[in-house]
Amino acid sequence: MSGKTKTEIAIYAVVCLAILLVPLFLDDAFLLNKYARYLVLGMLAIALSLSWGYAGILNLGQATTFGLGSYCMAMALKLKTIPVHTGSDGLPDFMVWNNVAELPWFWKPFYSMSFGVAAGILIPVLFAALLGWFMFRGRVTGVYAAITTLAAMVVVQLLIIDQQAYTGGFNGITDLAQFDVAGFAFDAYGPAIYYLVAICLTASLFVALAITKSKAGLIVQAIRDEEDRVRFFGYDVALYKIFIFSVSGAIAGLAGMLYTIVMEFASPTFLGVPISLSVVIWVAVGGRQSLLGAMLGALVVTGMQGALSESETFLDSWTLIMGLLFVLVVLFLPKGIAGAVETIAGRFERRRVLARRRSKRADAVGTARHLESLP
Amino acid sequence: MDIIVSQLMTGLSIASILMLVALGLAIIYGVTGVINLAHGEFVMLGAYVAWALQTEFGMGLLASLVPIFLIMALVGWLVEVLVISRLYDRLLDTILATWGIGVMAQQAVRLVVGGELRYVQMPESLSKSVTILGATDSAYRLFILFVALALFGLTWVIYRYTNFGLKLRAITQNRAIASSFGINTARIYRLTFAYGAGMAGLAGALVSPLKSVSPEMGTTYVVDAFMVVVLGGTQSLMGTLASSGILGELSGYLAFYSNDTIAKALVLVAIVALIRFRPQGLFTARART
Repeated sequence: MSGKTKTEIAIYAVVCLAILLVPLFLDDAFLLNKYARYLVLGMLAIALSLSWGYAGILNLGQATTFGLGSYCMAMALKLKTIPVHTGSDGLPDFMVWNNVAELPWFWKPFYSMSFGVAAGILIPVLFAALLGWFMFRGRVTGVYAAITTLAAMVVVQLLIIDQQAYTGGFNGITDLAQFDVAGFAFDAYGPAIYYLVAICLTASLFVALAITKSKAGLIVQAIRDEEDRVRFFGYDVALYKIFIFSVSGAIAGLAGMLYTIVMEFASPTFLGVPISLSVVIWVAVGGRQSLLGAMLGALVVTGMQGALSESETFLDSWTLIMGLLFVLVVLFLPKGIAGAVETIAGRFERRRVLARRRSKRADAVGTARHLESLP
Repeated sequence: MDIIVSQLMTGLSIASILMLVALGLAIIYGVTGVINLAHGEFVMLGAYVAWALQTEFGMGLLASLVPIFLIMALVGWLVEVLVISRLYDRLLDTILATWGIGVMAQQAVRLVVGGELRYVQMPESLSKSVTILGATDSAYRLFILFVALALFGLTWVIYRYTNFGLKLRAITQNRAIASSFGINTARIYRLTFAYGAGMAGLAGALVSPLKSVSPEMGTTYVVDAFMVVVLGGTQSLMGTLASSGILGELSGYLAFYSNDTIAKALVLVAIVALIRFRPQGLFTARART
């Protein structure tokens, strides 16, 4: 392990520790819920950073996997509630409104919470893998891959809205039970949920970091920089891309599940174009080639958005400022704030090394003179 | 008979609007390789300029077409100079930058003139209806069809028979070789962007009497226009003409016969499949390779 990797791990660990310690200094249920929501969006940014920053796949439909995870969790939590109209073992309320006679087959396994949690990761992974297989085996790259992911997301969203009887349509799935593990219930407005999100965030961050440092991760980065050359070396380029795309889908799916737990509902807007493009902004601003940068970008931008949109003067101009900031970052900081920090740090490092070399040379010259002066 | 004709005319009307929007997008994409996500906002701005000229200066729609083209061409030129020209070596980033510009344009309009719907008066001479083969159609829709074809013809002549058009075609076929033959690509790019934006502005102005003008109106157009470009390919203008015809008739037909949501989803699936299996579009120019 190189010294640079060690520093990186140390920085990541310090940031995660700081995030975990927040509830000790903050005793406000509403704020904790808000911060937990930001952290979930930070996980989504990590997912996009993996595929966009490290593999060069601009996924304009990152919210698809996020939304699929969110719906899986919502389905499981919905079945844990006791329906108002039909009593226990009855149908969820929106199915009753839509005259559904019995629970559709694909809802039944969600009676088991562990199935729901597993599905919340596996279904997004499956979706990402299939879409990746479809695109990358056909060598769809760059702009076209971006458009394909965007179109695929809109298709999934339209289907969910259209199949109102099975998905709740526009309204999404609401009135959910609390998520609980072995009898311990996670209240959306309590510190427990914050810790759950923070731990998941830390885990995804380090898993993602480990992947980028692994051999597969290095090949993926090589593909980003020069796809044809890697192909000529005999690597199966599509396979590596599908792999990283699926990992990104898994993290987004996990984030989606947590989002449902924090927000206490699932909605087709979770798979919408606005949220997908927001993630792109956060990652671009934070720095797409740094997992931590992307995550902090999400926290800072959503935090700013939350703060500014509450004040009267900024309510309208916020979007304008956001757009301007985004264009400026794309133009002048293509690697985001993290990239800029890295460049500056690199410059200092070089200066330090040069200075050390110079002082060594001075030492050497000094010693030589000393030797000369000996009789 | 008249049902078929009126169905056909509805399709043609949609197609002519599609072509007006897509023409600018196709030229910009074909020449510079930039997918201009702000194109829908150029359409929207064109509609707002038409509205402003009408309410502030009392100019009729027909009289204001030329000023609208010039104003929007200037906007396009500025966008190219300030933003796009710095990004030609990072094409993926132009999607992001143009999208950011689109967001800004939308919000700026909302701040300056408000988010409520605006209406543009139809020219009085064209507000009658006309009967063709037993089917009645509004004269204004026929006028749009006529203008769309005329603008297409104009673009075709520029493309085919002028020195500028020759350079455009050379760049579309091979950028690097064209510039090594001494074509000033930076200048051509700038003019192309201005021309495309001007066309988008005209499209917005022309549809403004048919639909209400709002800051969000551009978003739907950019998706449809992009589909025209993907279907038609970027190598030939004829491809754009043919694919807007096909898509116009198709969406007229689908809107008439089926569930709107599923129709939209199916069209998107078709686009995805097309990108995957025939990325060069259905129509390609024959070029010696």
